[in-house]
Amino acid sequence: MNIEHFLTNANPSWMQYESDSDIVISTRIRLARNIANVRFPISFTEQDAEQIEHQLMTALLAIDRENPYHFSYFKVKDMPQLQRQILVEKHLISPNLARRQKIGSFFLTEDESISILVNEEDHIRIQSLAQGMNLQQAYEEARKVDRYLSKSIAYAYEDRYGYLTSCPTNVGTGLRASVMLHLPALTMTKQMNALIQMMTRLGMVVRGIYGEGSDNLGNVYQISNQITLGKSETVILQELEKVVEQIIQKEQVARKNLLLRAPTILEDRLSRSLGTLKYAKILTSEEAASCLSNVRLGVSLGLLEPISQRKLNECMLIMQPGIIQQYAGATLQATERDMYRAKLLQEKLNEQASNDGEKGEDSYDV
Amino acid sequence: MICEHCKQRHANVTVTQVQNGQQIERHYCDVCAAQFHPFQFEMKEEPASLQQLMTNWFNFVPIIKKENVAGSTAKTKACPTCGTTYRQFLKQGKFGCGDCYRTFSEQLPQLLEKIQAGTKHVGYVEETHSKEKINQQISELRLLQQQAITEERFEDAAKFRDDIRALESKVGQGEERA
Ligand SMILES: [Zn+2]
Ligand SMILES: [Zn+2]
Repeated sequence: MNIEHFLTNANPSWMQYESDSDIVISTRIRLARNIANVRFPISFTEQDAEQIEHQLMTALLAIDRENPYHFSYFKVKDMPQLQRQILVEKHLISPNLARRQKIGSFFLTEDESISILVNEEDHIRIQSLAQGMNLQQAYEEARKVDRYLSKSIAYAYEDRYGYLTSCPTNVGTGLRASVMLHLPALTMTKQMNALIQMMTRLGMVVRGIYGEGSDNLGNVYQISNQITLGKSETVILQELEKVVEQIIQKEQVARKNLLLRAPTILEDRLSRSLGTLKYAKILTSEEAASCLSNVRLGVSLGLLEPISQRKLNECMLIMQPGIIQQYAGATLQATERDMYRAKLLQEKLNEQASNDGEKGEDSYDV
Repeated sequence: MICEHCKQRHANVTVTQVQNGQQIERHYCDVCAAQFHPFQFEMKEEPASLQQLMTNWFNFVPIIKKENVAGSTAKTKACPTCGTTYRQFLKQGKFGCGDCYRTFSEQLPQLLEKIQAGTKHVGYVEETHSKEKINQQISELRLLQQQAITEERFEDAAKFRDDIRALESKVGQGEERA
């Protein structure tokens, strides 16, 4: 599959279902693996790196006859900066891998739900993405690939410490499970800090999806397990699921309270955001993220005209600087990007109004 | 003002970040700003570095200090496979190879107790590589090697041959051990 496929597709098939909760956006599973008797990327040679890529290639070729996946293979060093950035924005590769100068490559399935990152911090990182809250399903998908690979690759594994990883924060299961949550009401009512402290004590990590420097941009948070050793995969997933369920409940209560206490102020604020998205000529990513968050909340509370979550998810994705430039077909300066972002989001939201009748809403009548 | 990142071009983009509740202003040129947009800036794949974990969460005093006083052999012990010392590990937060786990088996439990839920893997048990599995793999590689030779991709064929040799030696080792 050509790289263009992955760059231009803003609506990969794994993202196309409406999830049952408007609070959970997506689920991600990552399994860290290393090849036995080869140094970890921090100390290996370029030859080791090549050998590893070659081994993975062979493994995936060897299983091609029996496996349902068709992976496309890309080397990071062959890709221009903008392409790497887009893949990071789409969560297909990690920022760490995108920064690599020489080594590093990745495999992607056509629907973009599974990627295998090669020679990032560990030799192999299998990643699986799913819409909504689907920890078990996403985990099974990653495990399938894991099992395929383990047929021909001897992993660095010991009975005592499990899967050996570069960093002891990943050792054991090598499993990092994350759920992406939209928590506008908890943020507005300033409950997030206390919640984050509580989750930290439970061994969970909370981050903004766009990284540390932009904590709660768009009020979207990623909750992940911190513990990988001393707990089984099943327990890790169950605990994360439990915590996420509690947060969802808290968010729902906070939304109700907002509606009860300040209905007009809330409606005004959310409507203004929709107005901004519809009529602004210049939109920074911060403003777009916050407006999209408000609109998402407004739609979910029934205060605004219905817009499908799928459309809102797509908007959240395409407003990012790399993808904006991909759409524009040109490298843009910051101000040009802000102008193009406003234009693109208007187009997307208008397209919604005309399309909704025929397409996209069928998932509502369940 | 000069760009904080490339330290070459003129900085004309100001990015405001919030870190630990404090606002920090950063100045970049257009080129760097395009790469390190606030969305991406300092985006870390891992939730936290080991050092952050130890200092933020557990008020952990690095083991290295105690060792300096004690002057134990562990201080200077380096991994025979990759050469990483424990001091180096603490600095970079990463092991150089799988053998490091064995090399630092003395220090590891107290570290893992701080950052993990235990010191023993209780998750999925990876099946060891049976001879059968490896033999099957060898025959698959032989097919690929044949194919490469027919298509005159000799470099690939040579790589497959090396892979086959490596696997064959592994089967040999397994026999010795058993
Ligand atoms: Zn610069
Ligand atoms: Zn080592």
